[in-house]
Amino acid sequence: MDNPLVNVRGISKVIKKQTIVEEISFQIPTGSILALCGGNGAGKSTVLRMVAGIIQPSVGEISVGGLYWHKSRKQFSEQIGYMPDDYQFNQGLSAEEALTFWAALRRVPNRKARVNEVLGLVGLQDKRNRLVNTFSKGMRQRILFAQALLARPSLLIMDEPTNGLDPFWMNEFVDLLQRIKEEGHTVIFSTHQLEIADKIADQIVFLSHGRNVGSGPTKEFHAKFGSLYTAFNHSLGLK
Amino acid sequence: MVDILQVARREIKMGFRNPWAYSFLALFCAFSLGLLLINAQNEIQGYTAVTGSMLSLILYLLPLMTLFLGSFSLTSEKEEGSWQLLSTYPIGTLSFILGKYVGLAVVLLTVVAFGYGLMGMISGFLGMAYDSTTYFLFLLFSAGLVLLFLNIALFIGSLSRNRWQALTVSVAVWFFTVIGWPTFLIAFLGLMPYLWIKPLLVVFTILNPAELVRLFVVIKLGGGSVLGPEYYQWVEWINGSKGSLLFMGVCLVWMLSSILFVYWIWERGRSRG
Repeated sequence: MDNPLVNVRGISKVIKKQTIVEEISFQIPTGSILALCGGNGAGKSTVLRMVAGIIQPSVGEISVGGLYWHKSRKQFSEQIGYMPDDYQFNQGLSAEEALTFWAALRRVPNRKARVNEVLGLVGLQDKRNRLVNTFSKGMRQRILFAQALLARPSLLIMDEPTNGLDPFWMNEFVDLLQRIKEEGHTVIFSTHQLEIADKIADQIVFLSHGRNVGSGPTKEFHAKFGSLYTAFNHSLGLK
Repeated sequence: MVDILQVARREIKMGFRNPWAYSFLALFCAFSLGLLLINAQNEIQGYTAVTGSMLSLILYLLPLMTLFLGSFSLTSEKEEGSWQLLSTYPIGTLSFILGKYVGLAVVLLTVVAFGYGLMGMISGFLGMAYDSTTYFLFLLFSAGLVLLFLNIALFIGSLSRNRWQALTVSVAVWFFTVIGWPTFLIAFLGLMPYLWIKPLLVVFTILNPAELVRLFVVIKLGGGSVLGPEYYQWVEWINGSKGSLLFMGVCLVWMLSSILFVYWIWERGRSRG
């Protein structure tokens, strides 16, 4: 693969003598979408946290745009927009205040206009002054998605982004990601909803018990197995 | 610097929307009015038994309040996932810690200033006499306690995984440094060789912010003689021409070193993941 934006080489993560992720490698070309698929406890979030620089791999290395977190932390972080799965929002800030704070830390130019723009993208413009801790799960997901988009990062990392979204916003989210991809952004996200991965991902990595049990272009999985479900089951050794 | 200000601004906003801050504000106002009542019985000037009790009362309340608000603020960053998200941002760990410190200090000092302001205003309206030096030394005592205990609070918040843990450790630290301090100190120093007592007393006093600030204010109020012969050197230092500067220097070193220690804990966690 020529000049991939993300290069993950043989990463493992051991926490308290327990191997959470083992020997994972993949590359993501600029402007494409990769989905990490797997059940609960497969290690998807751990892989994403390592790519985002929140935790460091015990073995292996990760580069984004040719930069390594431990060598140039600031520049590495400037390329990333991260959407967490377990953010609780108990801080008593309104949607606009929370986004303005994040935008300021990312030195987003024309902060107010950009905050308005991303609020519009996720359909929360009319809820801008409401405290985020009064939001539903789906609305919180949308705020976190807006947060990740704020600085127009070259790499968007999203942990279970469709959790809690209603069918309308699920479709909107798929459309948004397609648009983001067309603008040249690169995306990596985790999901256990294979239909979402099927709709938007160019590449799939199937994880089980922290290991890569199958990876490749979505089209290839389709050509070989007919559907992602069959491919996933095959990867897990199930019929 | 911009990041420190942003984090501080968010902290101030969150602080003034936190019901805990208002509970403490109400409690501190009630407490200030209590002090006013004590003052109404006998005008407070310099160090007396009444001033001593008032200092002790402040000493019971403010450190506990600061330890709770400060440590909870940091543990909530971890519990709510906010720190995880911020660690994907191009923000330095020191900027984050300093921002939290500045923001929390503003919130807590506002609570203290409001309480004292209320006390001053009511005594002004009622035409009650209040010695201004004593009043400002009390204010300094309270601010010093807040600023120094906030460092301990951040330290507790850095090491605790959740609010329950922070609550338990905060109460333990408060009990040890405020309530049990004289008893523990006497018991411990009693086991030491006689010649070690004086230097150890200096070290322990510097290590305990409650004792450090209390000594300064008691001596400045003219109560140095009640402290006993072991503290004679302290009385000389603090009453000396550079006593206040020396005290501020010690406080500054205390704050800077503990902030750096807190930074080291967070940075270690960030680098090791």
